[in-house]
Amino acid sequence: MDRREFLKTAGVLAAASTLAGCQTDSSTAPMAGNPFPTTVQSGSGGAKPSVTIPTTEQTKPVVNDLATLINNRLTFGVRPSEPLFSSTAGSTDDKILEDFLDRQLNPGSIDDSVFEERLQRAGFETLQKSFKDLAYEHITHNPYKNNDDRHWQWYIKPFYELIRATFLRAIYSRKQLQELLVDFWHNHFNVYGDQDDVSPLMLSYDRDVIREHVFGNFRQFLEAVATHPSMLTYLNNRTNSDAGPNENFARELLELHTMGAENYLGIQDPTSIEKDENGFVRGYIDNDVYEAARCFTGWRMNDDLWEGEEEVDDSLTFLYYQPWHDRYNKFILGLYIPADQSPQKDGRDVLDLLASHPGTATHIARKLCRRFVSDDPPQGLVERVARTFMQEKDSPEQLREVYKTLLLSQEFRESSGGKLKRPLEWAVSTMRALNVEMMQLPEGVYWTTFMMGQPLFGHHQPDGYPDKAEHWINSMSSIYGWNLITGLVENWWSDEEDGNNVRVDLLAQTPVEVSSATQLVDYWLERWQLQNLPAESRTALIQFTAGEAGVDTPLNAEELSEKIPALVTLILISPQFRYRG
Amino acid sequence: MSDSITRRTFLKGSVASAAFMAGLFTPFPFKQLNVSANSSDDPILVVVSLRGGWDALNVVAPISGEDVAYYQKARPTLQIPQKELLPLETRFGVHPALKPLFELYQDQKMAVVHAVGLTYNTRSHFEAVEYMELGTPGEKTIHSGWLSRAWLADAFASEEGIPLVAIPSQPTALQGSNQTISLSSFNDLQLWDGGMIDLQIPVLRQLYAGESNLAQSTNRTLDVLELVKSRVDQEYKPAGGVKYQDDEFSRNLQAVAQLIKMNTNLRYATIDYGGWDTHEDQNYGTEGEMGILLSNLAAGLSSFYRDIEREHARRVTVVVMSEFGRRLAQNESRGTDHGHGGVMLVLGGQVLGGKVYGKWPGLANEQLFERSDLAVTTDYRQVLSEILQKPMQIPNIIQVFPGFQMQGDLGLFA
Repeated sequence: MDRREFLKTAGVLAAASTLAGCQTDSSTAPMAGNPFPTTVQSGSGGAKPSVTIPTTEQTKPVVNDLATLINNRLTFGVRPSEPLFSSTAGSTDDKILEDFLDRQLNPGSIDDSVFEERLQRAGFETLQKSFKDLAYEHITHNPYKNNDDRHWQWYIKPFYELIRATFLRAIYSRKQLQELLVDFWHNHFNVYGDQDDVSPLMLSYDRDVIREHVFGNFRQFLEAVATHPSMLTYLNNRTNSDAGPNENFARELLELHTMGAENYLGIQDPTSIEKDENGFVRGYIDNDVYEAARCFTGWRMNDDLWEGEEEVDDSLTFLYYQPWHDRYNKFILGLYIPADQSPQKDGRDVLDLLASHPGTATHIARKLCRRFVSDDPPQGLVERVARTFMQEKDSPEQLREVYKTLLLSQEFRESSGGKLKRPLEWAVSTMRALNVEMMQLPEGVYWTTFMMGQPLFGHHQPDGYPDKAEHWINSMSSIYGWNLITGLVENWWSDEEDGNNVRVDLLAQTPVEVSSATQLVDYWLERWQLQNLPAESRTALIQFTAGEAGVDTPLNAEELSEKIPALVTLILISPQFRYRG
Repeated sequence: MSDSITRRTFLKGSVASAAFMAGLFTPFPFKQLNVSANSSDDPILVVVSLRGGWDALNVVAPISGEDVAYYQKARPTLQIPQKELLPLETRFGVHPALKPLFELYQDQKMAVVHAVGLTYNTRSHFEAVEYMELGTPGEKTIHSGWLSRAWLADAFASEEGIPLVAIPSQPTALQGSNQTISLSSFNDLQLWDGGMIDLQIPVLRQLYAGESNLAQSTNRTLDVLELVKSRVDQEYKPAGGVKYQDDEFSRNLQAVAQLIKMNTNLRYATIDYGGWDTHEDQNYGTEGEMGILLSNLAAGLSSFYRDIEREHARRVTVVVMSEFGRRLAQNESRGTDHGHGGVMLVLGGQVLGGKVYGKWPGLANEQLFERSDLAVTTDYRQVLSEILQKPMQIPNIIQVFPGFQMQGDLGLFA
């Protein structure tokens, strides 16, 4: 989408919305069945936010409490119409967190029917398709001719629907922690989604690999990743053969998926690497990469590309292809692998070894701690999480247990202010905060998140998006973050040609009795749990909102319709909103 | 800010490079922007990083001696045919997709450094990039990138205007600098206006009062938006009838050219250009993925150079680098795996171009690094140091590359 065109259109729309601003019931009527709440209390079926909201008289900044931390760190941010947990008077912090995790780590127990209904109504056509159907219908037997525009549209449809469904889940699903964890593992086992010949299979990678294993066993997860055609294509293992091994997958398997660069010892003599008391080598070296590449020769797919391979079909499924497998013995990570093992055994031995290596446990633990606690997480916590990873390595619930150790820790509770939102989190939390009404994400919103620096499934390199603040403090994030918020609050994507709209009705979310500048600022700060905003910032917001009027003078309808979006924009771009609690 | 090292105190020499090694480096204080309307003679360095590890041996390939046979034998289907290579000199020919750059080479505006790279042994992208950009191979304890330190050590650089630009985002080389502005095209430098933006901006500044990195970066961004406001929507007319190609890399370079011509004190610009990790289907003769990458590279750089040539060429140096080269032998996927030695290009008004620099190690088995990759005979820091010392006029290289000793002088500059 061309931004200049957008701006031209946007200018017109902005003018139009200003004109329409006097009407309280403008053309932005909510879609059927899901009216915007008219006040903060009425939107959520009785459940009230569990945090203690100070009255407007108490303007001193409060230290974020645990509930605020949970809302910001373990969900995609506050969604005022639908608090994810409630606490009765007298609940202890322990109880709040335990209850929350009990539900969120067992998402099957969560009633998500409101979201499910929205997902149905959004009209996705491909989300339920099996791998086989995705491959057959959208890739190998596309019903449209190559030169027909619909050919490409049909081809790319499953991938685009995956992006849109992912946004929809992040914004509306009550299974918020699951969505955050899915995002974590998509980055850990990064696949660039829009790949030349297999983009539709990304839908299956998301559903059958990432979501399937997100609470499960890491070793099984690893094999599901290694054998999925999205990964086989992305890291080229589909062409890894004994005639000339392709090392791409093998290297990233060691460096990114399992032991991590922190355990890479560079180029060394394999006989010189020491072992620990359990027989694990201290780290991996280049030779291990080459040997791993040999172990995975022949792990390819049914892509029917080469002449004379009669046993290969065009189903695009995983295929272990004996003729390409390097049958000779190997020596990897201190392990001798004899020649002529049974099919796939060489590769599985490598996965076994890697999944049980303490270096892998530490690497995964550190990344999880970085995601949920701080950019540089305390070593003691990393070690405890890694210990759970090792202790539970044969459990089908291994990762669930790992998350528990992490999130029930004292370090997690004391980590307020430790994490800047990445652009995707900023964008989604903005849409949650604004109570947007949306079915299928408009292209322009996706494009704006692209410009902010974090398009979903759009990271080319295999390391996933970085997870430290320093990578996200930059002008492009700030500029396009502003642009996204402005576009949303001004309803610039509410009437798109293709019918994919997002609508925001801020007036309907503001109670009638909230009408002075002071009331408005305090109302929105409370609604989004941003009471920690410094007093000077609050004052500046109040003065801005009041303009010529007094800070306690009720504003008229025209002023409200002009000021509220501008005020809300400022709050959503404030540093306090840009942190995950 | 009492512990922080400002650029001024740094220049006075009160801070030893050991402090940097110990990670004491903290960001710069925020300065208000002011731009002189005068045209400037200050030097500018543009660093183009080809992400993924470019296949140096197919960019600059041997055309004489036994190396031709080694090259062809190792790359039965990936070699660039000898007759297609454009001869740089007796030993090497350049990929024909780089023809526009070959012309700059013939005009002596571009130099080639072969068998150059990181002296540390790694074939990991992420590690190689990090070491290269921190400027301390084998050491990750330093907390700032080499360009940040070059900027700190640069006695002549103005702190006003837009001295540091990163496209599309801040690389490790500029880590530790809160003055960097990131963008992908010039038109990114504007905010969408819901109708009240002029009243919102002062409030936004109030919200971002303070010294945090986020606050400094945001304020800097707002300053720059203000600075370019009147020009951002104007149509850009390159000099000399140049027409930039319509692709990302050319748009990036056009943005740099625009900034240079605006006289906003641009000093260092970085551009990331990805896609060089060609494990599979690298090329079909001169065509294919690698051919497209190279042809876009050449189109962008030559348009850029011709655009700024008349007025600004003396000031500008461009260096093109990559984290490593690739394996001599191709793999079975018609691609190449991670290797070692690479090739760098240096382009600019002061470069003694038209020459291939560096000691060529040869491609015989025993001449290769680990018997598989092109060896490194020139530390990449040697090339960068000569650029910093000569056109950029930074005498104190030790501040930029602590622990590195320059090995004589390749002679890239007079």
